[in-house]
Amino acid sequence: MLSERPITPSTLSCKDLPWQIKWDINTCTKCGRCTAVCPVSAIELGVFRKREIKTPMGLAAKPSNEFSVYYGIRQRTDPAYACIGCSMCNMVCPNNSIEPIRQDDSTTLHFQNNRGGQPRTRGGRRNNGDSLLDQLKFIRISMLTDPALDAGRHEFDLRTLLGRVLSPEDEIKCHQEKGWKPPVREIYPLVIGGMSFGALSPNMWEGLQMGVAYLNEEMDMPVRMCTGEGGCPPRLLRSRFLKYVILQIASGYFGWDEIIHAIPEMKEDPCAIEIKYGQGAKPGDGGLLMWHKVNKLIAAIRGVPEGVSLPSPPTHQTQYSIEESVAKMIQSMSMAWGFRVPVYPKISASSTSLAVLNNLVRNPYAAALAIDGEDGGTGAAYNVSMNHMGHPIASNLRDCYKVLCLSGAQNEIPLIAGGGIGKNGNLAANAASLIMLGASMVQIGKYVMQAGAGYLGSEKDRCNVCNLGVCPKGITSQNPRIYRRLDPEKVAERLVDFYLSFDTELRKVFAPLGRSTSLPIGMSDGLGISDKAAADRLDIKYVI
Amino acid sequence: MAKKITRISGFDKGVRIESRILEERIQSAVRGGARRLEVDAMGQHGIGGRLWVSKEEPINLTIIGSPGQRIGSKGFPGTTIEVMGGISDDVGWLNAGAEIIIHGNASNGACNAMAQGKVFVAGNIGARGMTMTKTNPRFDPPELWVLGSVGDYFAEFMAGGTAVICGHEAQNPRSILGYRPCVGMVGGRIFVRGPIEGYSQADVLMEPIDDDTWAWLTRNMESYLKKIKRGRLLRKLTKREEWQLIRSKNPFEKKGKARRSINDFRTNVWDAELGRGGLIGDLTDLDRSPIPLIVHGNLRRKIPVWENRKYLAPCQSSCPTGMPVQERWRLVRDGMVDEAVDLALAYTPFPATVCGYLCPNLCMEGCTRQNGSMASVDITKLGREGIKSKAPELPPLSGKRVAVVGGGPAGISVAWQIRMKGHEAVVFDMAETLGGKIASAIPNSRVPKEVVEAEVERAAKVLPHVHLQQELKAGDFEELRENHDYVVLAIGAQKPRIIPVPGHERIIPALTFLQEVKKGNTKSGKKVVIIGAGNVGCDVATVAANVGAEEITLIDIQEPASFGKERKEAEEVGARFKWPCFTKEITEDGVLLQSGELLEADTVIMSIGDQPDVDFLPDNIALDRGHVVVNDDFQTTDSQVFAIGDVVRPGLLTHAIGHGRRVAEVLDDLFHNRRPKSDTRDMIDYKRMTLEYFDPRVIEFSDLNHCASECSSCGTCRDCYLCETICPQSAIKRNELEGGGFERVVDPEKCIACGFCANSCPCGIWDMKEPAPLE
Repeated sequence: MLSERPITPSTLSCKDLPWQIKWDINTCTKCGRCTAVCPVSAIELGVFRKREIKTPMGLAAKPSNEFSVYYGIRQRTDPAYACIGCSMCNMVCPNNSIEPIRQDDSTTLHFQNNRGGQPRTRGGRRNNGDSLLDQLKFIRISMLTDPALDAGRHEFDLRTLLGRVLSPEDEIKCHQEKGWKPPVREIYPLVIGGMSFGALSPNMWEGLQMGVAYLNEEMDMPVRMCTGEGGCPPRLLRSRFLKYVILQIASGYFGWDEIIHAIPEMKEDPCAIEIKYGQGAKPGDGGLLMWHKVNKLIAAIRGVPEGVSLPSPPTHQTQYSIEESVAKMIQSMSMAWGFRVPVYPKISASSTSLAVLNNLVRNPYAAALAIDGEDGGTGAAYNVSMNHMGHPIASNLRDCYKVLCLSGAQNEIPLIAGGGIGKNGNLAANAASLIMLGASMVQIGKYVMQAGAGYLGSEKDRCNVCNLGVCPKGITSQNPRIYRRLDPEKVAERLVDFYLSFDTELRKVFAPLGRSTSLPIGMSDGLGISDKAAADRLDIKYVI
Repeated sequence: MAKKITRISGFDKGVRIESRILEERIQSAVRGGARRLEVDAMGQHGIGGRLWVSKEEPINLTIIGSPGQRIGSKGFPGTTIEVMGGISDDVGWLNAGAEIIIHGNASNGACNAMAQGKVFVAGNIGARGMTMTKTNPRFDPPELWVLGSVGDYFAEFMAGGTAVICGHEAQNPRSILGYRPCVGMVGGRIFVRGPIEGYSQADVLMEPIDDDTWAWLTRNMESYLKKIKRGRLLRKLTKREEWQLIRSKNPFEKKGKARRSINDFRTNVWDAELGRGGLIGDLTDLDRSPIPLIVHGNLRRKIPVWENRKYLAPCQSSCPTGMPVQERWRLVRDGMVDEAVDLALAYTPFPATVCGYLCPNLCMEGCTRQNGSMASVDITKLGREGIKSKAPELPPLSGKRVAVVGGGPAGISVAWQIRMKGHEAVVFDMAETLGGKIASAIPNSRVPKEVVEAEVERAAKVLPHVHLQQELKAGDFEELRENHDYVVLAIGAQKPRIIPVPGHERIIPALTFLQEVKKGNTKSGKKVVIIGAGNVGCDVATVAANVGAEEITLIDIQEPASFGKERKEAEEVGARFKWPCFTKEITEDGVLLQSGELLEADTVIMSIGDQPDVDFLPDNIALDRGHVVVNDDFQTTDSQVFAIGDVVRPGLLTHAIGHGRRVAEVLDDLFHNRRPKSDTRDMIDYKRMTLEYFDPRVIEFSDLNHCASECSSCGTCRDCYLCETICPQSAIKRNELEGGGFERVVDPEKCIACGFCANSCPCGIWDMKEPAPLE
């Protein structure tokens, strides 16, 4: 910003920006790679004028000015082009001459990022690195028996049930009367949560699905992946891989006509149907796919015109009470596949979760309840929703599980927990914690992007531009010029890698608990925390 | 002594003794010289270990009865233990050299953590045999020989020694090695005969038995069979083809679990099920193969475009006349000073008079350099040279005729332009000579008389002039209209505005005053009050000072709008500015203000603007508050009549000249039956230019060349070669164009879209555009 111009309230200096570009004049070769790769045009070639004042000693002659020009990399200070800290500049720099530096005390941009009256929207998750799940410890360790379970040596059967499990009495009754038995799937307890084709790039989505198929068919791990709300490519619907897929229906109903058309041609039933009522990242708000991500391909799969923004309403239309909402949707979706496919709702964790759960318990067609906590991620949401709305998953899940225990239904209706699992990389520990607090399985989303595709976003507000279609790694862009950076095969490979290592880590946690053939669902006596209030709230051991 | 057998019983008076007591008794016997012992065991633990002396003096220990767990644990070299029946768990645990012969079966954990010694089993063993064994290079490795089969989890973490599993009369004949053998095995080898159900492929491998190894096996088989008293089996158990050898992998052979490659999976499973192109192969044939971060060609997210002359330079855009100022400086830089000077005549008949002297130079106000706090390039230097320019060669006349009413700057401009385009323009004017206010009213101090005269003369030479003897009447106008293709009204504003305050008849209008002084007809009183302190008022003040005024006051109802040279010169002659002042009356003594104050004056001049005199216009030409209404092409409500200059709205000389130029273009288009088109180019965005190449300390320009060198040439390529030089990829080339000129082009296969060209260009020619979406 030149000092000659009038300033505006949004006129910022580099020092006002959370990410500041550090550039080394001595090692820079001006190769242009950093400015070429920057996803938000935050840096550009700078032309600088340098002045030297030559003054002869003893003032023997008239002093003179010498001006010269030099070039370098300059950071733009317009808030619209503020550096997002992704460090792609550093990645392409041959000489390590440039990098963004986080300045936590530079907060001015926070007050200037709503120009045009538009509140900030972004991708990522709550900008808070704290994790209660990380604080939980597994305090029950058996070590004296042989065979003590050895995570590396012993065989484990890490499977969980998705679907309504009948009580023994009902099971007998059902058998005797040859009644309808709710469908139940035996699956791997780490599920890839709903990320739509559209929110994710085609290469990312295909990589994930391919990795899931690989885990199922090559590694014997029945991993499932939810489509999110964006429809499902017609080929996948008609392939045997559909059985690894949980189809999601949400308030936008995108792509469902394609799914209905495909039903008579399906080789396999899908694993399950997830009805999305809420999302942990943005409780009370609907999805939003911006128009610039709705290209020909996305439009075809979703069944919408090209180049229009696709908002999903915050709620499903035509439903006027919890009872109706739950009953009607579950009934319709169960009927779609002749009651052969489990159907469950997904809600954002909320102080009202129990009301939903109570309804589900009374509904014989309800296959499970998925609860997504406040730390869940998203491709696009209002910053305020992401940072300030929602309920932590641990206590919400725990409340639900304990209510099930009270009615003796804890083994009958599985709870699926999501939201911030592995947010600091501790995927297996977090997952094990939630399972021991009562979850039958857990859902992950952002972790998949981080581990599977090198997603750069952080809880320090790094990158987080999923909503803009400029994802530096090609994860959330619909622009082939960007998403081709991502090789679906490499994504699949990474997915397989982290699933295998998760599997080992989960065993490392569960083996000392003496569990190898069934998950320690609700085994909260093995959990401890050094926070008394949290221990009391979660009804687990207080350990210091 | 050696032959004597010492018998020790595990019973004492029919009661089983504790393992500790039995151990004490065995140790005591050995200390007492016993070297052959027979123990009648009753479940005691660890019998036969710790016989340290056996290293020097071999000890044989036979166990009858029912031995307990860990027989022979911590066994020492030279100790031989012969168990006459089956045995419990962990035989040979931590064995450090004892030889243990078991004539029955051994249960679980046989040889667990055995480091040296040998265990010969005449039957089967239970689970987890030969686990955690060791190899110590100082000693011979341990051996386990089993006649039958082994239980599950055999050889877990085995780290040395040899296990020979003969598969003879096996407990589990279908699986000699049991379930999941060899997990974590890192050393040693296993000979096995008979069917097996796999082993840990991550840890061990099977390899052919070479001759030396086979010789070792057969040789030792013979002695093993002898020890377990099954020598007859030798032939049966030495059929080479029945044996398999498993050994641990070395670290280099361990590559982890072999996984099918994803690429293979994709091709043969994924795409095979979904079809060619995978998940969305049916929906798109877009290439989705991987690309690097730095890309070329169509994969670039931005594309540099050389936008030479696409936008107007700010100077040209700011100039109401439309003078291409930056182009003239380019000609100067190219050494074509005369051409640069003469170019102006294509835009204005008054380059020297107006650009050089009278114009406030809006081009300089717009100059990009001001954004860098630098002095605008001084156009007046170039303008003043215009006096030397000769009228250009005139094109032949087309036969089209235009009447121009008014011979001031607007009229001359439009007539000049019309003539340049090959049509005839006749100027009708009341004055004897052309020039309007430039010639008649603007003081000589502002522009030398010779300059005005020379430029008017240059125009007059090519323009027919009808000197009207009286003011136009409605009928005269109608006649003009009849006799010409078009009429252009350029009559200016000749009717001074006077406020009708009491005593207003004492007021001299500014225009009258200036005209009279210029003619040399008038003087000023000593005390002058000028009502209206704009730039004309300032001119009046300056002129009045030259003709006798000593005390000059300019009053205004608000802060005076005067500026620039006019204001400065008025101040230099001592004029006072006073505001806000509201005139109540003009008296003999001067100007009486509403405040009651009297400003003494011998002469009162009013300078609050002039109005057009439009009485002669027919009703069909619409007026708005005394001015003629025109559209964007200066066409009046009578389509045959155009109006320009002050008759349309008050403005600068350059506005009047610009209007004239525009109308000439419009008329030329109409004469050629074209829809009138104007230059619709936008002004270039100031942000595109880079000013760091210029010296910020220049406040005055020494000459034309200096001016030209400091011009950034906004919007027009300077041809400085900077972009070619700065491009890190050498992607920019300069092409000479046929018929002169040049262009710069980018090689898309080299360019990486770094934007360096756009960010460094002094002229703002390069822009980074987003390419069309790929889909």
